[in-house]
Amino acid sequence: MPVTIVHPGNESVTKAANPPARLASLKGKKIGLLDISKPGGNFFLDRLEEILRSKYGAGDILRTKKPTFSKNAPPQIIEQLRGMDAVVEGLAD
Amino acid sequence: MVIFETDCPTCQLALPYLNSLKSDFIQVIGLSQDDERSTRDFVTQLKISYPVELDSGLKISRAYDPHNVPTFYVLDENGQVQRTLVGFDKEGLNDLAAALGHPPIAPPNDGAPQWKPGCSSRHLEPERQSSMQESSAKLLRRVGDPATRITLRDEEDPFEYCRRKFGDALPVIPPTAEKVDAMVRTSGLAPETIIARVPPFYGEATVEKIAANAVMAGCAPEMMRVLLPLMRAACDERFNLHGVQATTHFAAPLVMINGPVRQELGFWSKQNVFSNVVRANSSLGRAFQLILLNIGGGRPDGIDMSALGNPGKFSFCIAENEEENPWEPFHVTRGLNREQSAVSLFAAEPPRGVSEHTAPAGKTVLETISFALATVWSYRTCLMPEAIVVLCPEHVKTIHRDGITKEQARQFLFENTGVPLRHYSKEERAEGTQLVANYKEITVRGEKCYQKFRSPEQIHIFVAGGTAGKFSAVIGSWSTGPAGSQMVTYPIPDR
Repeated sequence: MPVTIVHPGNESVTKAANPPARLASLKGKKIGLLDISKPGGNFFLDRLEEILRSKYGAGDILRTKKPTFSKNAPPQIIEQLRGMDAVVEGLAD
Repeated sequence: MVIFETDCPTCQLALPYLNSLKSDFIQVIGLSQDDERSTRDFVTQLKISYPVELDSGLKISRAYDPHNVPTFYVLDENGQVQRTLVGFDKEGLNDLAAALGHPPIAPPNDGAPQWKPGCSSRHLEPERQSSMQESSAKLLRRVGDPATRITLRDEEDPFEYCRRKFGDALPVIPPTAEKVDAMVRTSGLAPETIIARVPPFYGEATVEKIAANAVMAGCAPEMMRVLLPLMRAACDERFNLHGVQATTHFAAPLVMINGPVRQELGFWSKQNVFSNVVRANSSLGRAFQLILLNIGGGRPDGIDMSALGNPGKFSFCIAENEEENPWEPFHVTRGLNREQSAVSLFAAEPPRGVSEHTAPAGKTVLETISFALATVWSYRTCLMPEAIVVLCPEHVKTIHRDGITKEQARQFLFENTGVPLRHYSKEERAEGTQLVANYKEITVRGEKCYQKFRSPEQIHIFVAGGTAGKFSAVIGSWSTGPAGSQMVTYPIPDR
């Protein structure tokens, strides 16, 4: 007799989102720099900010920080970053 | 009157508490800001026993103008507002009941947080697009889809199929429809009822999917009684399972069982308590891990990136040896009644042993343990970690014999666990040394030290193990507090 089993896993279907169009240049673009609040994140992002401004002529740069690296970014942080042309998330340790 | 939304998690948490507001002099009414169908689902799912009306066109909401939901209004016989309460707040709910001459309706330790903020009221939200509503309904629905039935071809070995598709490295028992149905029946719930959403993928843990994993792990059908509150506890936002499952640290959820359920379902609390002694501990711990893997997606070869992992990820479930514990049991310290069965979860490192066979005095035994406590997380890191001290029966007997209470033992460990200042160098950067400005200096055994823990409450005492052998254990934590993982204790329903 054939055996029938009950699917024990997550069956929800995830749909891949299309990646946004790549930026042709960073000149004058609004860039968000998200620090996940691990020690050392600021070193990395400080330097990156410098390079984005001096070498690539980036426009406004918004620095923001997750309250804790151990949890997802709260909606307010995501909301802050909406409207940026690009966002860099800085992991560190 | 309470104004609420059906998809607001705080409303879902708060509204059932009003069921206990029973008096001839009090009328309770719920006012839903959503449509008839979702309101009906809400009332059925949460077993709301008082009348609920729809606020069509949000007319009443506009009149009362709450900023957030839920908002509770105490109205007098003329409809005048006497008192309001916003969000979920146990103390506020009890004050509200008291103002109505009613006993408290929100017990302090039922597993729910003391306080949880609500969502913005619908009448203040911008117009939403219908597609948004659909996806949010799916995210917050309380009844899931039925699990797919997979019929295997005759030549397929069911054990091999399940090991390949749904196991970890070890074989599993095929979750046949008959076995899963029997398991579901003991829960008394519909198979598609969603108990929790399991991070990091937030898969819906329906009763039948939990049951299927329980069958695979070899659980007795009665174990559903523990598995359902265990899944609620694991997905309690305070526990932060998302972080626990995705961290590179050692953390694995340690399941701790207390109360009469130990005897009723055969949980083991004596010799070899961390080992493979009985079906109850081993199969519950394994079922839990299979759920985290199959429903939560925390695969140890995938998104679970732990650098070294933890042997507890096979199964990590202990029960307290309450019979050898001269003090109050662990769940009583956590705020529940002694007769209440309970499950607690802690994001735990593997246990490290502490041998002390020589010390004749209870204080010396505690001192020996304090040396091990100083090493949790990283020796020079203070304030952040928590720890569980698993006291063996021989050690707790000695400590108790010397007239030391549980509270005093925790206080002693707090005051005597320190890391000597001479182990910190100003020149060399190392873990824990960069935060010394926040540390507190104390004197331990005549030497200047940084105090390891923030408070005695960060040191938890759990009595377990066999009556022979003076071996206790210290278990370190993952990141703790609101920014990390907080220990949770949930009641297990009586038989």
